[in-house]
Amino acid sequence: MKKRMYVLLSILLVVSLSLMGCNSGASTAEGGSSSDGKTKTINFVHWRGEDNEAFSHLIKKFEEKNPGIKVQMNIYSSNSYQSKIQPTLLSGKGADVFASFPGSRFSVLQKAGAYEDLSDQEFLNSFSENLLKAGQVDGKQLAVPFQLVYNQPVYNKGIFEELGLTPPDDWKGFLELCETLKKNGYIPLLWSGDISAGQFINPMVMNNQPTADALARIEKGEVKLTDEWFVKTLSQIKTLNDNGYLQENPLGTKKAGAASMLAQEKGAMLAHGSYIMATVKQQNPDIKLGLLAPITVPKDKAKYLGIHTATFMLGINKNSKYKEAAAKFIEFLTQPENASYYAKKTGQLLTLKEVEYDSPALKESAKWVEKETLFQPRYMITVPEVEQAIVTAVDDVIMGMDPEEAAKKAQEEVNRAIK
Amino acid sequence: MQLNNSAGTVKGKSSPFYSSKIRRKKLKVNWALFMFVLPGFLVYSVFFAGPTIAALVLSFTDWNGIAAELNFIGFSNYIELFTNDPIFYQSLTNNLKFTVSVLAFQTVLSLVFAIMLVKNTKANVFYRSIFFFPTVVASVSIAFTWNFMYDPNIGVINNTLSAIGLENLTQSWLGNPDIAIYSIAFIQFWMHTGQMLIIFVAGLHSIPKELYEAASIEGAGKWHTFRYVTWPLLAPSATIVVAYTTIQSFKAFDLIIATTNGGPSYATEILSLLLYHEAFNNFRFGYSSAISVIFMIIIAVITIVQFRILKSNDVKY
Repeated sequence: MKKRMYVLLSILLVVSLSLMGCNSGASTAEGGSSSDGKTKTINFVHWRGEDNEAFSHLIKKFEEKNPGIKVQMNIYSSNSYQSKIQPTLLSGKGADVFASFPGSRFSVLQKAGAYEDLSDQEFLNSFSENLLKAGQVDGKQLAVPFQLVYNQPVYNKGIFEELGLTPPDDWKGFLELCETLKKNGYIPLLWSGDISAGQFINPMVMNNQPTADALARIEKGEVKLTDEWFVKTLSQIKTLNDNGYLQENPLGTKKAGAASMLAQEKGAMLAHGSYIMATVKQQNPDIKLGLLAPITVPKDKAKYLGIHTATFMLGINKNSKYKEAAAKFIEFLTQPENASYYAKKTGQLLTLKEVEYDSPALKESAKWVEKETLFQPRYMITVPEVEQAIVTAVDDVIMGMDPEEAAKKAQEEVNRAIK
Repeated sequence: MQLNNSAGTVKGKSSPFYSSKIRRKKLKVNWALFMFVLPGFLVYSVFFAGPTIAALVLSFTDWNGIAAELNFIGFSNYIELFTNDPIFYQSLTNNLKFTVSVLAFQTVLSLVFAIMLVKNTKANVFYRSIFFFPTVVASVSIAFTWNFMYDPNIGVINNTLSAIGLENLTQSWLGNPDIAIYSIAFIQFWMHTGQMLIIFVAGLHSIPKELYEAASIEGAGKWHTFRYVTWPLLAPSATIVVAYTTIQSFKAFDLIIATTNGGPSYATEILSLLLYHEAFNNFRFGYSSAISVIFMIIIAVITIVQFRILKSNDVKY
């Protein structure tokens, strides 16, 4: 009798512990109705921890205006974001409004049917039409890109003014610019081994590639990385390195180190994008920064002047119970007053039309909205291995590999990925 | 019929049949005790055995991490891995370079430091704490700090070398594909030497002093005392240090992802990083599972071999 009691108590203990574990997990992860049955709680999931304060303020304001809706914000780190958002969306719980990266990562979620169609939403009118394309598939608007980034070198306007230089409009001019900067003791183009290859390849191919979607056609086997235009692009990057226009040992420098060198005015350009301007400004408030892109062809053959990326793409989970409340929240974020607050607080340029910017860095970036820029070619690739092969090819030529050999190696990786 | 008795046909008290029956009876009587191991068994099943079996099953599929159904593709992932993936072999080579260099330096130097700091004086305790300190710091924080130190232009290592006239030794520590993996191995070794030192110190303290006295009376010098007394009796500690260092180095992940993320051009890609990249960058969870199965087999084989070699050196006294 006593032994039976032990057995029963042990089973009870294990079952209780298991149930306690299940219960605590569920209460934090899921949204749902409150005890009064009227308040709906929607989950807003994204990766930008640095925007926590701005979003918290906006959420508070949203909840005041919409008493029946509560917003639970969950921030995952950007490195593990994709791995966490996938199962969250798959479960149908824990994410009503969610952010996603453009390109291959958006493509994976889209193929899994994670997005609700937003084509009929009125808030689409608040966006610059050409910037919405990143979230469109087969004519449907599945996500709305909220932020706008220019993926082209940032330059120190003060150094350019001191030396009487202006951003060049052809490749010959770009090489002359680098030479002048080098002769005057500046590192012409700062490079970081972790970021620059993936960024700089975009403006380098924008005018070299035969069509605007050439990188996207690589994964279909229609275009090869061994084609003349890609080998030429790699050769041009190699020329910059061989001529000493990048700092010594560029691949060993990391993002933070390269940004510090630009802030310390050791270098004149940094092969990153507009997103780095606020960081550099923080380190050196007096620095005047601008954006430029290397034009790799003669002036009359240049189709594009720069590269843009519409990112932080907001979507609604197709499995959400509260799609209407989720749409209301996105609509609230797109209102000019709220978007302007977000832009000011976070230093981000937005894809929305009526946003007021007051910081010099944002005003400088905003000038590019009117220019002819191409959506980041790298993000048109939907097969991640193809994207990686291209970035690795850039690293390879900087390490001294012959451009043709690097292109051949990259194409072999592509062949393996798309077979 | 003695034979029949031993075969258990006769119910004599000394027969194996009798004793095995008694044992079975005892187990039945104490059945409730199994409930005490149940929580541990459940934790092991859910967090270890379950994922291992899941990885094995997934390795035969082309699952992308999202699809609701599993599509079985037989041994295709394994065939691709061994016949058509040069990055797998590069990662394996990098793993060996990394593990061997960390193992050699970490084991030898932690033993040397342990012998130097074995006495429990105030200074030694202080130094042991200093050596141990990097172990308790998050490896990602350490990686960021070393990223700055290794920076070829503004990093303290190259600047110090230049300042003392050794400019020709300056390097792109994380950017040069020939040395990047060793640069990270050095960080790993720097982080964990203090930890291994503590294990060796504990091992040294467990050796009876009488053995040293006997060796001294026999006229043994320092080297012979170490060779024939200290080292054989340190075998249990060395087994732990070597096995732990090997597994830890093979599984090194956070440090590498935070320093180079496998670059430049896969020069620091190791198996743990490769399977992560295949799963979470390339969305090839099936392929990634195949890598993890191979990875698991490699670690298991190395660990078993190490234990056998080191166990054979074990001395009982």
